Amino acid sequence: MIEFFQVLVSGIMLGGIYSLISIGLTLIFGIMRILNFAHGEYLMIAMYLSFWLFKLLNIDPYVSIIIVVPALFLLGIISQKLVIKPIINAPPTMQIFATVGLSLVFQNLALFLWKADYRTVKTSYQTATIHLGPMLVSFPRMVAFLIAIIVSLGFFYFLKNTYTGKALRSIAQNREAAMLMGIDVSKMYMIAFALGTACVGVAGALLMPVYYVFPTVGTYFGVTAFVVVVLGGMGNMTGAFLGGLLIGVIESISGVYIDPSLKEAVYFIIFILVLLFKPSGLFGLRGAEEVGLK
Amino acid sequence: MKTETNKETLISPQLYVPVLFFVLLFLIPLVIKNPFYIHNMILIFFYAALSSAWNIIGGFAGQISLGHAAFFGIGAYTSAILYVDFGISPWIGMLAGGVLAMLVAAGISYPCFKLRGPFFTLSTIAFGEVVRLLVSYFRDITRGAVGLLVPFKPGIGNLMFRGKIPYYYFALILMILVVVVSKKISVSRMGFYLTSLREDEEGAQAIGINTSLYKLWAVMISAFFAGIAGVFYAQYILFIEPESVFSSAMSTQFALMSIIGGMGTVAGPVVGSFILTPLSEFLRSTLGGSFQGLHFAIYGVLLIIVVILMPQGIVVWFKDKYEALLERLPNEKRREVKS
Repeated sequence: MIEFFQVLVSGIMLGGIYSLISIGLTLIFGIMRILNFAHGEYLMIAMYLSFWLFKLLNIDPYVSIIIVVPALFLLGIISQKLVIKPIINAPPTMQIFATVGLSLVFQNLALFLWKADYRTVKTSYQTATIHLGPMLVSFPRMVAFLIAIIVSLGFFYFLKNTYTGKALRSIAQNREAAMLMGIDVSKMYMIAFALGTACVGVAGALLMPVYYVFPTVGTYFGVTAFVVVVLGGMGNMTGAFLGGLLIGVIESISGVYIDPSLKEAVYFIIFILVLLFKPSGLFGLRGAEEVGLK
Repeated sequence: MKTETNKETLISPQLYVPVLFFVLLFLIPLVIKNPFYIHNMILIFFYAALSSAWNIIGGFAGQISLGHAAFFGIGAYTSAILYVDFGISPWIGMLAGGVLAMLVAAGISYPCFKLRGPFFTLSTIAFGEVVRLLVSYFRDITRGAVGLLVPFKPGIGNLMFRGKIPYYYFALILMILVVVVSKKISVSRMGFYLTSLREDEEGAQAIGINTSLYKLWAVMISAFFAGIAGVFYAQYILFIEPESVFSSAMSTQFALMSIIGGMGTVAGPVVGSFILTPLSEFLRSTLGGSFQGLHFAIYGVLLIIVVILMPQGIVVWFKDKYEALLERLPNEKRREVKS
């Protein structure tokens, strides 16, 4: 029983980071109606940035957040201006390929610049553990989880209570009406995209002490984020948050009780089943279903 | 009478220009003996065939699959396992691989066809990943991540040859076959159905087209040829591993060539492969290993430029010139008008 709870807790810890990545993805989708196939690559860039800040300037990965996040925000603005803006009204096929192209560029530039080596940081707290009742929790995972929760809550607060946040939500609900109310939609698109990439900026820095970085690391986390977003209901932030935790737990449980090499297959199959049978996501959001089917 | 004049016969340039082009390709090995160039031509035909196969479902029907490496890999693994473990000739393996890829495609795609646009694409990515993970997992059958080595025993029955020339003709014929099938589909009733459901699925259903059925046909044909190309790959490279044949980079490449060349047209994927394959081989051979990844980054930039500036693909550039050329060539139709 203790073992099961141990697995459960470690899954939830991992899930916090998935939540953070997925909130960014679902924000971009909810507001711009674009599925960002390059989302994982922004995470990869954030991880490399955090890695090099540690390696060259000896900046702790957690401290690097204050540099990585603005950098990713900026990168988001630039890519939105250059690539996303021209295709915002293009057919879905073109939107898929534009972001796939973006992911190819990022992934292979990373391969070109930094080779395919797996790199990681060495910190004093890397292997530290904390006793949580009878369970042992890895310290960096715990920190990642807590920061992920704080950032997500802050993000929800921002969306609920600030003008920009309200404007963003209004666009998600009805693009035309928001435009008629005098909201600068194209500026909001830019903010939404940049906020989405800033989210993975935080996630990237948090992942660095617990994971390796390599050029295709984004594929793994990017696809996982898609799974989470579909589970939580497209464009539904709370759903993405809960979905992230759920996927963390599923991954952890199937890794221990089925086979570590099949854990991804398990949640991909769940993903396909949800897409097919409950496309509105597990937490039901009105209208989300139409997004997938129309 | 009208249909008769529109029909393309061997004397009309619409038909004899492509035929001449293919004949020319048949003659190339008589002149060029350098194995490097022959190898590049083989790759061009190989990717043109795969991209054309992808184009049947991705281009004609507009169902963007980014998991096509699954069908390619199933073909490769089926024939390689049949040959290595059971001594069955790859010629039979080819049929088995193609048919298995086709059946898997039908089973996988049918339920997913109700998903639209990017969601269909997501489901194909997920399926591609599941297939890759399962192939790595079932080591007893597939040898897992270590890969499968096909022992080299040259002979026509084993579909293995000492020189590159037989492979050249095999790849060329495969490409022509897929192109001819694509052409046949594009001018058939099915082709029109696929176009209509691509443009407006509800509209197509409203006028009584069974859209799921035609998408199913398209994906089955597409997967069959992808599977056969997989068998060719296994016999040519003689080594397959999950990370290479089932990789998402492979899936992306098939789609990429179609879209850069011109998605939904018969010539598009072929044009795409004739431009991109030599480009990547050139970059790889001149820049060498130290510039790993650079050619794919260039692919990515090209893809973004094409999508933003000319979403119909490079083929649009050639189209007017090509049609003007056809006008100037001896034309059966014009002769009829004159007489």
